[in-house]
Amino acid sequence: MPASSESTVTLPAGVALHARPAATFVKTALRFRSRVTVGADGKLADAKSILAVLALGAQGGSVLQLSAEGEDAPAALDALTSCVSGLIE
Amino acid sequence: MPFGASLGVSNLVGIVLVSHSRELARGLADLASQVAGDGVKVEPAGGGPGGSLGTSGDAVREAIARADSGEGVVVLADLGSSILTVRHLLEGKVNGHVRLVDAPFVEGAVAAAVMSSAGQSLEDVAKAAEDARGASKF
Repeated sequence: MPASSESTVTLPAGVALHARPAATFVKTALRFRSRVTVGADGKLADAKSILAVLALGAQGGSVLQLSAEGEDAPAALDALTSCVSGLIE
Repeated sequence: MPFGASLGVSNLVGIVLVSHSRELARGLADLASQVAGDGVKVEPAGGGPGGSLGTSGDAVREAIARADSGEGVVVLADLGSSILTVRHLLEGKVNGHVRLVDAPFVEGAVAAAVMSSAGQSLEDVAKAAEDARGASKF
């Protein structure tokens, strides 16, 4: 049964969503079947596209809006929330 | 399914970067593999004989062999004759295992390396590189 879920998570201070942290985030999203988007500062990106996530330019401490749609949406958001909270430079 | 790939238990699609410049190919291979993380093989094939600007079919062939873990290889090339070098090398070997993609060099390499490191298929890695053409930088 398709489901959709949304949540917000804050990037750790001092950790921008660039290069390696962004790749860690995208690789987490790619583990799930659901369509996942991430929003920051009014912009929206496909969470499974490294180039789209890099283009968000999200800085440390900013709030990310996560949205997932699909059968594993809740699990995807749980994993991504943990991933973001644990990101390091 | 991509599950398990992040555990490093499955083979990943290899990436080969063909440039007229040895430094450009090496630098981009460093960038793409550092962004994507350990596991994915990103192999440079840059420069002509003696380090001159140019491309070498032998260097490309060796880079493909190093990059190939059995899941296929995606090849990106920078400009003009580097494409011809790769095409010439792949002539008569069209089995789909080695794919030359029409993609922006830097963005395509990074997108392909990240997709590969997540354990995605040759098809998906190639598509990520080609889709990089439409990606905005900001």
